[in-house]
Amino acid sequence: MFLPNEYEFSCFVKINSGTRALEHLPHELDALNARKPLIVAGKDVSKEGHVRKLMSAFRDSGMTIGVCDDISGPFDAPLIEAITNLYRNKDHDSIVAVGSGSIVDVAKVLNVSVSYGGRTLRELAGKNGIPNPLDPFIFVPTAGGDGYETSRYAEIEDMKFSSDFLMPDLVVIDPRMVTSRDTRIIVATAMTALAHAVEAYTSPAKNHITDIYAHAAIKYVAEYLIPVVRHPADRDGSCALANAACMAGCVVSDMTMGMAHILGETIGAMFGITPGICMGIVLPYTVAHRALHFGARTADLILPLAGFDDCAKISPSLSDAVAVTMMIDLQHELNGQTHGGIPRTLEEADVPPYMLQDIAERCITDDLPGYTYSDYLTVVKQAWEGSPAMNG
Amino acid sequence: MVSYREVKPGGKPFKRAYVAVMLWFVGRAVQAAARVDRAVAREFDDLPDSFTFCLGVEPRGPFMVVGKSKKGRVKYLGWNPAGKEIDLAMRIQNMEAAILLFTFQENNALSACRNRITVDGDIPAACAMMRVIDIVEVYLLPKMIARLAIKRYPSWSFRRKYLGRIRIYFRSVLGY
Amino acid sequence: MHLPGYYEFSARVKVVSGHRVLEKIPAELRKLGASKPFIVTDNGVSSAGLLEIVTDSIRSGVTIGAVADDIPQDSDVCIINDLAGIFRERGCDSLIALGGGSVIDTAKGINIVISENTYDLMKFSGAGRLKRALKPLIAVPTTAGTGSETTMVAVIADHERQRKMLFVSYFLVPDVAVLDSRMTLSLPPAMTAATAMDALCHAVEAYTCLAKNPMSDICALEAIELISRNLLHVVNNPGDKDGRLALANAATLAGMAFSNSMVGMVHALGHSVGSVCGVPHGMAMSVLLPYGLEYNMHKVSHFIAELLFPLAGSEIFARTPKHLRAERVVTIIRKLNQDLHDATGGRHARFFGEVLDRHGAHMVEKEKIPDIARTALGDGALFYNPEDLDYDDMLMVMEGAWEGVPLKRNLIKSG
Repeated sequence: MFLPNEYEFSCFVKINSGTRALEHLPHELDALNARKPLIVAGKDVSKEGHVRKLMSAFRDSGMTIGVCDDISGPFDAPLIEAITNLYRNKDHDSIVAVGSGSIVDVAKVLNVSVSYGGRTLRELAGKNGIPNPLDPFIFVPTAGGDGYETSRYAEIEDMKFSSDFLMPDLVVIDPRMVTSRDTRIIVATAMTALAHAVEAYTSPAKNHITDIYAHAAIKYVAEYLIPVVRHPADRDGSCALANAACMAGCVVSDMTMGMAHILGETIGAMFGITPGICMGIVLPYTVAHRALHFGARTADLILPLAGFDDCAKISPSLSDAVAVTMMIDLQHELNGQTHGGIPRTLEEADVPPYMLQDIAERCITDDLPGYTYSDYLTVVKQAWEGSPAMNG
Repeated sequence: MVSYREVKPGGKPFKRAYVAVMLWFVGRAVQAAARVDRAVAREFDDLPDSFTFCLGVEPRGPFMVVGKSKKGRVKYLGWNPAGKEIDLAMRIQNMEAAILLFTFQENNALSACRNRITVDGDIPAACAMMRVIDIVEVYLLPKMIARLAIKRYPSWSFRRKYLGRIRIYFRSVLGY
Repeated sequence: MHLPGYYEFSARVKVVSGHRVLEKIPAELRKLGASKPFIVTDNGVSSAGLLEIVTDSIRSGVTIGAVADDIPQDSDVCIINDLAGIFRERGCDSLIALGGGSVIDTAKGINIVISENTYDLMKFSGAGRLKRALKPLIAVPTTAGTGSETTMVAVIADHERQRKMLFVSYFLVPDVAVLDSRMTLSLPPAMTAATAMDALCHAVEAYTCLAKNPMSDICALEAIELISRNLLHVVNNPGDKDGRLALANAATLAGMAFSNSMVGMVHALGHSVGSVCGVPHGMAMSVLLPYGLEYNMHKVSHFIAELLFPLAGSEIFARTPKHLRAERVVTIIRKLNQDLHDATGGRHARFFGEVLDRHGAHMVEKEKIPDIARTALGDGALFYNPEDLDYDDMLMVMEGAWEGVPLKRNLIKSG
């Protein structure tokens, strides 16, 4: 077992997950000393009736709530300013964000903006630019997401915010909100979570507590992704995957974002593919590569991926290879279940072979020192062909 | 540019009515059981005189209040805790949690595990009241449903179970 | 994975862990906007020289406002009010709680009195009465057992009115838990064993009782693995710094598990043995743990069986047939108690019959068992136990635990 000599870690996020979780909201707000929440939601989410469901959870609570539920792009500073004015004029004291992806960025930055009257957003952006706690912020996820919702990061225009205080105080995962019919969205979200969690779990910067969150996220995806792809209406499974996204977001940090993340984002941006899908494709190859050349703790992945029984049966000398194989198996299973809808390799994702060098070049970043052009190139080549590097 | 509206969400009248009826019946059944069942009587004996217990739904009710008189007699004291000095309050956090509880989808213990019930007051008294409610449930409910509501279905004599059940039903309906 | 229909999980405390992390306390205080801490601790801790280590480590970074080094085991409202007076007088702005559960609870109490500016602490008892963030509180545990550094509750006694009140709020979670191996390095072997077994009980009960959830499960598994790999070694080699740090981490992880999933009958009985006979908490826990597992076996054997993995490692797990795993877990815990008994020269008790006080007399007299059983019937931990217990069941378990004989499984009622 891995024992870090020294670490520090905190995660303020509380999770309420399962049947009738929404109905706990009034009570939870009260415990956070909030009386008048502002609900922030995108147009798409409210069209699906999610905001209505959320509001009915407040029945019989005696609370008055404000609703901004037709927010659409551009998600920029003037938008934040407009909502900030509403928030102040109507005496709100807390934010409930419904949705996923950029609407959560809006809510996080809104929270910064309402808590820091005198200063402009630009002054507060940057690393650890926010020294004090903000107003209570609750996040109610719907299907989909970019994996950053529960993280310490937020981005609006070109301003990047980073602080522990940006993390939601509470995440409410309710089966009525998180189911989706779109298997591509399901897979992309789950694979983003898996990639982030695997990289956190095998990162040298890991510790006992990041392990808890990463372990949980990997286990949720390994156990529930295939059943949910098979039956998208599966409420327990959908909740489990939403949990995975939430847990993985909690441990996403500079220290733990690895190759799969960078490759996924780069390839996604270059070829217009959902980044989560790309991360899913490259993940096993990055894991194999890092085990071989960077001494990553790949063997640890067996327990969350396979569970007690199978983990106990696998010889430790093979566990690196088995972990990689299990992730490739997962890709094949997803591909089969969706009748080819989810690509297994970069070739199937229609990435042209002559672009691989280009990808590798663009991946090199200061965020992940030590990884060179040839590292990325080896991995994208393997991911294009579908043959991982294996020991021996 | 941004639409905004302020909403005061309404109530849930039907669920409220259902829970109110259930609470009314449970309250009267506790009073009846204290007179019929020796185990329940013993639990109440151990509690101080003029002990008052309240079970209800946050934040706006319905509630039920059961108390011991100064002479130690257990009595259902109605639906309104206002103005009474409550020694022990068990609060169900919201109406949906109450529905889950009173439609036997979740039992007392599970509801407590899920933070849907909170206890305000003396913990030993709360344990005693939980046992009382368990016993009352065994009396009131057919075995199939009662098994969902409690952890371990007791093996009682025919006399205690069936005669007791008839007496408690009678007393609860008639209210004496 | 066991996915319950609904669960809640939070572990809000910031954990700072390492061999030399006391030095980080000033920086953590500054981040929290504080610079003049009030240090509270107890006699045992200060006479072991730990207070000095802490003050030496932080002196260069902050002004120490005041130090109270005589918090008694049964601290109460009066003491809290007195200490709050000192806090105000010296113009402190934060608290450092150095010690075990009672010191940390006392610090939480002082924090309520100060932050709410009240003299009537009891006004804030119960769930959710605290509505604002309190003053910064840093917990430095010195026992590697209780896990109080992670919890959002405080239990505070009111001796005048003879009651114990429970305070529950998010705002009671300490801001930072500092786990420094120097704080547990001098803990004697028997205490090390008892406190680690306390943590093991937290983890095992969190994993097997009704409020378990996937997150607390993983915390529990990790805690159990850390304890089973390190405890005996540390008891035999008290100077093992890495082992000490591992046990401190295990206690914190177990604290995260049980503060979300709660505990069951082992704690219900353990609290009562403590309050009726004065047996140290950890010792009562280690004796009762195998009995609690045996009693609940017919309801949760599948969960108990899974614990074989972190307790014994993957090889033994794979070699043990499925239907024997749960029994094996109980055997291993009994064996662990036996090994600790041997390693501590008999100071670690295996059953209540051999728990002796300083004068060599039985601490748990057999005649007290009915009292213990009655007290246990009023313990809140019973809510979360998978199986019901009545008075007779309590007697049966206690008698087994007194004699040191396993429970007769056919006598355990199920219905």
